[in-house]
Amino acid sequence: MLGSMAGILFDGFAYGMLLFLLSVGLSVTLGMMNFINLSHASFGMLGGYVTVTLMQQLGWPFLATLPAAFVISALVGMVMERFMFRRMYRATDLDQTLLTIGVVFMSIAGAAYIWGTVQQPVVMPDYLSGSFLVGGVNIARYRLFLIVVALVITLLMIGGLEWTRFGAQIRAAVDNQRMARGLGLDVDRTFSLTFSLGSGLAGLGGALAIAMVGLDPGFAFAYLIYVLIVVSVGGLASIWGSFVAASLLGICDMAGKYYVPQLGSFLIYLMMVGILMWRPVGLFGKR
Amino acid sequence: MANMADVLLDLRNVRAGYGDSVVLDDLSLEVKEGESLAVLGRNGMGKSTLFLTIMGFTRLTGGSVSWRGEDITRLASHRRARLGLGWVAQEREIFPSLSVEENLIVMARPGPWNLKSAFELFPRLAERRRAMGNQLSGGEQQMLAIARSLMINPSLLLLDEPLEGLAPIIVEELAASIGRMATEHGTTIVLIEQHADVALSLTRKAVVLERGAIVHRAASEDLLADSKTLDRYLGLKLEVI
Repeated sequence: MLGSMAGILFDGFAYGMLLFLLSVGLSVTLGMMNFINLSHASFGMLGGYVTVTLMQQLGWPFLATLPAAFVISALVGMVMERFMFRRMYRATDLDQTLLTIGVVFMSIAGAAYIWGTVQQPVVMPDYLSGSFLVGGVNIARYRLFLIVVALVITLLMIGGLEWTRFGAQIRAAVDNQRMARGLGLDVDRTFSLTFSLGSGLAGLGGALAIAMVGLDPGFAFAYLIYVLIVVSVGGLASIWGSFVAASLLGICDMAGKYYVPQLGSFLIYLMMVGILMWRPVGLFGKR
Repeated sequence: MANMADVLLDLRNVRAGYGDSVVLDDLSLEVKEGESLAVLGRNGMGKSTLFLTIMGFTRLTGGSVSWRGEDITRLASHRRARLGLGWVAQEREIFPSLSVEENLIVMARPGPWNLKSAFELFPRLAERRRAMGNQLSGGEQQMLAIARSLMINPSLLLLDEPLEGLAPIIVEELAASIGRMATEHGTTIVLIEQHADVALSLTRKAVVLERGAIVHRAASEDLLADSKTLDRYLGLKLEVI
C-alpha cells in the first residue's frame, strides 16, 4: 500500500513536471504581459512534432531533438508575437481569446494535414527506457529524467528572473511600461524575447510529453485545459505557483485514476474549483 | 541666435495632447547645455504634458522636437532616453517588484553616475538598498526616482515636481541635492515645481506656462523679485522660508 502510494506520488509528480514545462510560459505571458494566449499548447504540440520529425525522418537521437524543439517553437513564437499577437496587447480579452483560439484550430488542422491524425510513435533510447526499484517503488527512468529536467528549468527561470538584469527588466516592464520606456528600455523587444522564451519552453514540454502521453493533433486542445488549470490554480505570473499547481494537478490526476477510476479526470476539476473558491487569485497569485 | 551646438533640446511650435484633446499649443522652448530652467504655472496648465511630450508619450500634432540639432519628433521614447533625456515622473513611478538597488541598475548606462555616486548623493538609499520598491516612504521614493534617472547618465534631467508632498526637512535635503546636481555635476536641469520660490532659487532661467503656452520668460533671479508677475500668473504671494 505504502509502496503503491509512493509510486503514485512519483508518477504524479513526473506528470506534474510535464504540465509545469508546458504551462510555465503561459503563466509568464498571461500573468505578466496580460495577453491571453490560448494557443500556448499549440507551441507545445509544435515542439512535439519537431522531435518526432527529426527522429523519424532524419534519425536524430532523442536528446538532440530537445534543444531543436525549444529553438523552433521559440522562433515561431517570436514571429507570431511580432506580426500577430503584439497588435493585440491592448485589445479586449474577448478579441485576444478569439484570435488565439483561431490559432489553435489552425494549428490542429495544420498538424493533421502535415502529420496525419494518427498517434506519433517514438522510440526512447535505452538509457531512458525501463525502470528500477528503489525501496519497493518502481522508478521509471524516463519519468526521473522529466523531473530532473523540470527542476533544472525551474531553478534557471527563477534565478534568471530574480537575479539577472534581464529578469529585472522584464519585471520593470511589467510593473510600469511607460516608466521603463522612459528610462530607455525597449519594452517591445523585452516582451518579444519573453514571449519567445515561453513558447520555447512549451515546445520543450511538448517534445518531452510524447513518450508519456503521446502526440496527435488533439494535443493543442487537450493540454490547453491542463495548462489553464495550472496557471489559474498556481496564480498568475508566479513561477513557483505554477510549479506547485502542476505538481498537485499531476499527483491528483494519477491518484484519481488509480484509486477512483470511475471518477476519471473529474478529480482535478474538483480540486481546481475547490482551490479557486478558497483562493480566487490562485495559490500564489497576487491579483 | 544661440550656437546650435550648445542647444540640447529645442521645441518649435509644438502642439500636443492626448487623443483629440490639445494640451500644449504653439509652444516653443530651448534648453542649452549646462542650463537650469524652472517651469512654473498653476495646476492643469500643461507642465507635466510638456515633459511627456519631450519624452514622446503624448500625441504630437504640430511642430517639432530636436535633440542636439537632430529631429526626434517621431523617435520612440526609449530611444530618446538612450540619447540622454532623463525623466523623473511626477508620480515617481518606482518599480514595486524591484529592490532599491535593482531600480537603480535596471537601466543604468555607463558614465559618471553609478551606484557609488548615487549613494553618495542620497545616503538614505544605500541604507535601504535591499528594500523593495513598494516598501519605501514618499521621500525615499522621490530620492530613488531621481537617482534612478541619474543612473542612465542623462545629459538633461526633467524633474516633475520632485518636492511635492514631502516633509519640509526632506524638501530642504532634496533641494540641496538638486542644487548640487546642477552646480557641482553640471547636469542640465528642467524643473517643474509648485514651490516657485524653491524652483527659482535652484535655477537660472524660468518660464511660466498658461493654458499650454509659455506666457512669460525671465531670469529666475529677476522673477523671484518680481512678485507682481508671480502673483499674476501663479496667484501666490511668496513667503520666505
